[in-house]
Amino acid sequence: MACRFWCPSRPRAKRFDQRKQDAETRLKFSFFHLMPYTHLELESHDWPFPNRYFDPAKASALYRTYVESMIHAEACGFDWVGCNEHHFSPYGMMANCNLIGGALAYPTKRVKIAMIGNLVPLNNPIRIAEEYAMLDCMSGGRLVAGLMRGIPHEYLAYNIPPGESWERQREAVQLIIKAWTEPEPFGWEGKHFQYRQVSIWPKPMQKPHPPLVISASNADSAKFAAEMRATMGMVLLADLPSGKECIRIYRETARANGWEPTAENVLVGMHTCIAETDEDARRWMAHGLKYFDQVLMGGLQASQRIVLQKTRYFENDESRDRWKSRLDKRRTLTLDEAIERGTVLCGSPETVVKQIKRIHGELGHGVFNFTVKVGTLPDEVIRRGMELFRDRVHPHVRDL
Amino acid sequence: MQARKVSLSTGELTYFVAGEGRPLLYLHPAGGVRWTQVLEGLAESFALHVPVMPGFDGTSAHGSVKSMQGLAKLMGEFIDKVIGGPTDVMGCSFGGCVALWLAAERPDRVDHLVLECPAVFRPKGSRPADAEARKKLLFLHPEKLPPESKPVEQEAANRRMLPHYRAPDDPDSELLEKVASIDKLALILHGTADRIIPKESVQLLKSRLPRSYLVYVWDAAHAIEVDQPERMLSLVEGFLQRSEGFIVNWGTLAVNPG
Repeated sequence: MACRFWCPSRPRAKRFDQRKQDAETRLKFSFFHLMPYTHLELESHDWPFPNRYFDPAKASALYRTYVESMIHAEACGFDWVGCNEHHFSPYGMMANCNLIGGALAYPTKRVKIAMIGNLVPLNNPIRIAEEYAMLDCMSGGRLVAGLMRGIPHEYLAYNIPPGESWERQREAVQLIIKAWTEPEPFGWEGKHFQYRQVSIWPKPMQKPHPPLVISASNADSAKFAAEMRATMGMVLLADLPSGKECIRIYRETARANGWEPTAENVLVGMHTCIAETDEDARRWMAHGLKYFDQVLMGGLQASQRIVLQKTRYFENDESRDRWKSRLDKRRTLTLDEAIERGTVLCGSPETVVKQIKRIHGELGHGVFNFTVKVGTLPDEVIRRGMELFRDRVHPHVRDL
Repeated sequence: MQARKVSLSTGELTYFVAGEGRPLLYLHPAGGVRWTQVLEGLAESFALHVPVMPGFDGTSAHGSVKSMQGLAKLMGEFIDKVIGGPTDVMGCSFGGCVALWLAAERPDRVDHLVLECPAVFRPKGSRPADAEARKKLLFLHPEKLPPESKPVEQEAANRRMLPHYRAPDDPDSELLEKVASIDKLALILHGTADRIIPKESVQLLKSRLPRSYLVYVWDAAHAIEVDQPERMLSLVEGFLQRSEGFIVNWGTLAVNPG
């Protein structure tokens, strides 16, 4: 009869430690959803997008489909499920992505619940700290806490001066960390936020606090992410050279601040479509991108131009010009060019394995963020792509 | 601001007075008296009394005053003789430590306590001897220093008085035992970028001081008065005028905002 209280021998304990270490260091994959509204038949360059076109019954069905896909991602080998916050647009139907996080917490057991994330300068930082702490407790310590600055047009939605975005971001991130970690009630006297007494219930399960992701798509934000010891997030990569440069700046700043990021501290994301053949994948991606560019992005680009021209959203002209050129580049790039440049994953499982290996070889990052619902890319195609990822992609790339 | 002198049991003490109203005793940091926007603002609502601790700013040390308790007793005598009754007490850094000793030794003479980055319960470790290095630690925004501020050399000379009153690595264990018995309403302020007094020290103080509030001032280093004068003034005035009510956001429709 086997001893109930078997004491592991040394070699077996070693093997266990090795497996655990391998799981911690291997390449991670995030199933990221924008939750777009996909029932529009017109192009639009207006902002905000008039909500007379919104059909709640259709949205209800979409939410169900999207959430079910995200739950299914766990069974398909994904390590994270992620979503984010957008306002006043069919681009994304998550004004508060934490609600989706709550819907994912109980049906899943293993995947990290990645909120990437709440738009910190636009919201009440204490509310973010509270809701993230709730999600961390509800999920048993699986929250990845994204503290994002937001793209320019979001500032119009919540009537926040875009020129204050950096100051608000810096202050709010520090306040949120304090709210999670302070042992005693405290007050906060800031420039943008003032609270006389803070003592949040609940506090997060992960100690000292959940891992952070901060957007880092330019030099300034990469530096800030490193200063905050956060994972740097490039949720939609513009191109490999600029991604590489941001990673270099991030690592350099981290070292100057006394820490060494691991590969998992670098998240790189891109539109992704996996199908049986290259032709199928390209056809579906092109179909989805047409809606993405012409309908979902139309109004956003117009409003973003206004913000960039009229405000100091960016701290310097160089950052502003880089953002504008990134927008222009995205608009003019063909799908073939985007695949070639390594900013879109698209093809058969074998092709996508090659693409992942190439991009990972260039950037050396630890988390791949797949934006799977590109415009009107059909949900059944996405489902099939998830299975192809599980059976024919993941086994070849997880140990990179 | 008027400079005056008073004769106390251990020797003569120089002090400054400004403003009218409820009395407020201000105990200066180790660099000596620094006349900041915060003090100017407080003098518009309070009768501000700023004694110069013996041996600082060119004054003579008092031979028999050789400890923080001794300084606290001297401040108690100053209150008796000059102010004449209980007073609100505000102490900055070194002065914050004296203020705590004063509240512990002479509770009958202390009303509200304001402790700006109080230099208590500090971990052991070297402090920078170099004046410029210290300046970098003190101020996040040195450009906000009042133009007439004393030169760093003078501040450094003042700091050389510190060992006269306390050992450099004094863990304040005696004070730590007394803090729980202080029942004064206290506001503890700490700059989020303070690299002289770690947050663990003020957290410990907050956990032991029964009726205390801890407020972090963002974008400020050790010298909060210099780095964020407007925000600090508003905070301190609100606390002194409204006591516990300072935690309420009074907005513009308060029935009794005063």
